[in-house]
Amino acid sequence: MLAESILRSLSGLQFVPPHRRPGTTTGERRSPRRGRSVEFADYRDYTPGDDPRRVDWNIYARLERPYIKLYEDEEDLTVHVLLDASPSMQWRAVEEDRSIKWERAADLAAALCYIALSSGDRLVLETSSHARYGPKRGVAATSGAIEFIEREVLPSEVSDGSVPSQAYLSGSNLNGWWKRYAVDARPGLCIIISDLFDAQGYTEGFNALGSSRLDVNVLHTLCPEELDPEFTGDLRLRDIETSSLQDVSLDDSALNQYRQRLNLWINEIAESCRRRGGKYHLTNTSDSVEKIVLRDLRRDGWVQ
Amino acid sequence: MKLIAMSLITPLALFFGLLAVPIVLLYLLRLHRREQPVSSTLLWRQAMMDREANTLWQRLRRNLLLILQLLTLAMLVFALSRPFTYVPSTAIGRQVVLLDGSASMRATDVLPSRFEAAKAQVRKLIGELSPNNDMTIILVDGSPHALTSATNNQSDLNAALDAAQPSLSSANWSAGIALAAAAGNGSQAGSGATTIVVSDGSHADDLHLITGNARYIPIGTSGDNDAISDFSVRLTNRGLAALVRVTNTGPSDDKVLVSLHTGNVLLDARTLDVPARQSTTWTINGLDPKIKSLRASIDQAQHNYLSADDVAYIVNTSDTQRRALLLTKGNRFLEQSLAELPNLQLTRATTPPVDSSAQPYDLYVLDGLSMTLPVRANVLFIGAQSFFTSSGVFSDTQFVTSEASPVLQGVDWRNVHALTSERIHAPSWLVPIVQAQGGPMLFAGQMPANSRDNQPFGRVVLLPFDLLRSDLPLQVAFPVLIANAVLWLAPPQGLNVPANVKPGEVVPLPSGTIVRLPSGQRVAADLRGFAQTNELGIYTAETKGVTAMFAVNFANPSESDITPQPHLQVGGETPVISRNPQFSQHEIWPWVAFAALVLLVIEWWIYQRGLPVFHRQK
Repeated sequence: MLAESILRSLSGLQFVPPHRRPGTTTGERRSPRRGRSVEFADYRDYTPGDDPRRVDWNIYARLERPYIKLYEDEEDLTVHVLLDASPSMQWRAVEEDRSIKWERAADLAAALCYIALSSGDRLVLETSSHARYGPKRGVAATSGAIEFIEREVLPSEVSDGSVPSQAYLSGSNLNGWWKRYAVDARPGLCIIISDLFDAQGYTEGFNALGSSRLDVNVLHTLCPEELDPEFTGDLRLRDIETSSLQDVSLDDSALNQYRQRLNLWINEIAESCRRRGGKYHLTNTSDSVEKIVLRDLRRDGWVQ
Repeated sequence: MKLIAMSLITPLALFFGLLAVPIVLLYLLRLHRREQPVSSTLLWRQAMMDREANTLWQRLRRNLLLILQLLTLAMLVFALSRPFTYVPSTAIGRQVVLLDGSASMRATDVLPSRFEAAKAQVRKLIGELSPNNDMTIILVDGSPHALTSATNNQSDLNAALDAAQPSLSSANWSAGIALAAAAGNGSQAGSGATTIVVSDGSHADDLHLITGNARYIPIGTSGDNDAISDFSVRLTNRGLAALVRVTNTGPSDDKVLVSLHTGNVLLDARTLDVPARQSTTWTINGLDPKIKSLRASIDQAQHNYLSADDVAYIVNTSDTQRRALLLTKGNRFLEQSLAELPNLQLTRATTPPVDSSAQPYDLYVLDGLSMTLPVRANVLFIGAQSFFTSSGVFSDTQFVTSEASPVLQGVDWRNVHALTSERIHAPSWLVPIVQAQGGPMLFAGQMPANSRDNQPFGRVVLLPFDLLRSDLPLQVAFPVLIANAVLWLAPPQGLNVPANVKPGEVVPLPSGTIVRLPSGQRVAADLRGFAQTNELGIYTAETKGVTAMFAVNFANPSESDITPQPHLQVGGETPVISRNPQFSQHEIWPWVAFAALVLLVIEWWIYQRGLPVFHRQK
C-alpha cells in the first residue's frame, strides 16, 4: 500500500466539488446559503491531521484536551469513493505474480480517501462487492480505509482468469451497483475508480447517481495491455469475467481497429461525464500515484 | 499469334490436384487458436465486428496464404499436365535446316554477325519445335555436313548449333541440298519434310533445286564491303614491285586505308578512293627484292562489313633461280618463250649431255629429242617421244574440252590446231587436260612417289605434236602455256608448293613435312598432303632441310560480294507458309511454372513480412 512519504506529500490537498451542495452538519466548507452570520456552532474532537490553527487553545488550557471549533457558515462535503473490484480490475498478465492494475487502482483509492479524510470531508468508500467503509471523518480513519481496500483483493486464480468463479461475476454489473448505491447516498462528490468494462454500459448508473445529487467524477483505470495491446497471431480471447470467447486474427490492421474502437469508447465516457458536470480522467496504471494525483488530478482541477 | 485451342499432353497429372486436400487440412490444423485471457472482450468484440463487417476482402485477406498456396499448387499441377496451344507453324513433320556457313556469313552488318543472327533464327525454330516433330541441321559450307541427326531433343539441337562456326570458303549448296534430301527421306510417312534455308542468299543460285516444301529465312541487311581482290609482286629493274587491287563490292563509294607490311614492319600505306562496285589499284615500287613475304590489309574503311577479305598475303619467290635444259634441234618460239621467263637459267643443247645425273636440272624441255634422264626429273615433252608408246597419229585437232589445271590457267586453246598429233597411250598418272576431236592434245601429271630411287619422273607435261607443225606458237596462249608449265614443273621453291592456296585446300606436300601455321602451331602433313589450311596467312613447310613458304588467302570474289538477297526463290515454289498455313503444338508449361514460382515467392514474402497495413480514412 501507499508509503508514508506519499501520504505526507498529499497533505494539504482537498477536493474541488463541481457544485456546492448544502450539508447536514457544520463543516469546513462554505455553505451556499446566503445571509447567515459567521457564528460559532460547535466543538468536535481533534483528530490527528486536523489543522492546528483551528484548535481552540482556551479550551485546551482548561480541559487539557484539544477541540476543533466549528462555525455556522461552514458545511462538510461527503466524498463517495466507489472502487470497482471486479475481476477485470484485478486482471494480471500471465508473467506477473500480482495485478499491477489492481494495485494502482487500490493505491489511488487509498490516496483519494486520505485526501478526503485529511481535509475534513466525510468519506464513504464502497467496492463493487457491496462492502462499505464509512461514513468516516477525520484523518485517523485513513488506516481503516486502507485495510478495507486490502481485504478486497481477489484470489489469484481469479485475477489471472484461469479459474473463473461465478461468485465474483456479480461485480461486473456496474449499473445495478450504482443504482442501488444512489438510493441512500448523501449528496456530495462521487469518485468512481473503474475500468468500466461492462457490456450493459454505465449510463443508467451515472443517471442514478446524478439524480441523488452526486457529482460523478470518473477515474478511468486501464492498464497498458488494454490501452496498447501487443498480441499477435491467431488467438482465442477469453473474458475473465464472463468467460465469453472471441476469436481474433491479430495483425497490424486488427490492432488498429481495436485502438480506434478504444478511443471512441473513451471519448464517449468523457463526454458523458462532462454532460453531467463531472470530471473524467483516463489513468494508465503504469503511471505512479504521485504523478496521477499531484500532477494530473491537480492540473485537471480535481484537487487543489 | 492467335491462340486456336488449348489441350493437355499428360492430363493424368491433374490428379496431383488432390494434394489440395492435405494442404487445406494442414491449414485447418494450423488454425488451432491459442487461448489468451483478457480483462474484457467488450472492445475486442466491437472491433472485430467493425472489421468483419468490412467486406469479403477482409476474410480473403485472412486466408490469403491458403489461397496463394492453392493457386501455386493449381499452377504446378497445370504445368505438369503439359498444356499446349495450337499455333500457326512454319512447318510440321521433319524440318531440315540448311544453315549457310559460307564466308559471307561472317559479315557484321547484323550484330554480332550474320552467322550468329542465323543461329538465333534456328534457335527460334528449335523453340517452336513441337513434340511430334524433329529437326536436322545441316551446316552448308565448302563441305556440308549434318550437325545433328534428326532429333526432337532441343538441348541436343542447341548444343550442336552452339558449336557451329562459319567457314572461309563458299557454300556448296548442291551438296547441302543432296544431304537435305537424304535427311528428309527418313521422315515419318505422310508428314513430309520441310527444308528451311537460313542464309544471306549470296550466290545461292542452286536453292531452286530443293524439292518439296521449302522456306527461306533471309539474313543480312547491307552489301557494303571492300576486299583485297588481287595482290601480286614482280621483280623489276627498280627492285620488287607490289600490286594491290581493292574492290568495292558494295553499293556505296568508299575511302579505304590500305597498308603494306612485311612481318610487323610497315612498308607503306595509302588511302584509296574506291567507287561503288569498282576496283582501284595501288602499285608500290622499289621494295627490297629479298623480302620473303608481304601482307596487304585494309585498315580502315567506311562501308566494310566483312573482315576476312581485308587481308592478303604473298610469298616472294622472284629471287630464286631455277635451272632448265632445253634439248632441241632449233625452235625460236620455244627458245624465246623460255628465255623471257624470269629466274630461269636456261641451257640450250642440240645433243644430250654426257652425264645427265652429275648436276640435275630443275627442268628438262625435250623438243622432239630424247636423252637419259636423272631420277625424278621434271620434264616438258614436245612431239613424239620414246618414253611413251604411240598408236599412230590423228589429224582432227578441233578443241573439245579442257580440264581445270594450273598449266592451263589463262590459256585459250579453242583456236589451237595441229597438222597431226601422236595418239599417246599415257600412264594413268599422266592425265589428258585438253581433248580434241581426234584425241588428247595436252597431258600433265605427277608420277606417284615411291620409296625406291628408280622413280623416273617427277612432274610431266606432254604436248604430243610438233610445235612447228601447229599454230600454237602463233597464239597468245603459247607464252602463257610455257610460263604456266615451267612454273608448275619447276616451282620456284625447293618444295612443290603452290604460291597461293585457298582456305581448306589440300597442299600436296610429302608425308611427314612439318608445316608451321600462321598461329605458330606445327602440324605434320599426312599421306593426303597438308589439309589444315583454315587460317589465313603465311605457312612454312620444311622437310629434309628444304624450306618453302606458301600463303593461304581468302581470294574469293563471290564471297566478297556480300549483297544479301531478301527474296529468293527456293524449291521452285513460293514459301509453304503463305500457301498452306499449318498449326503445331506450342507447349506453355514453362510460363505456367514461372507463374507458380512467382506465386510461391509472393506467398513466402507475405508469410515473412505480413500483409501491408492500409489505414482507413475516417
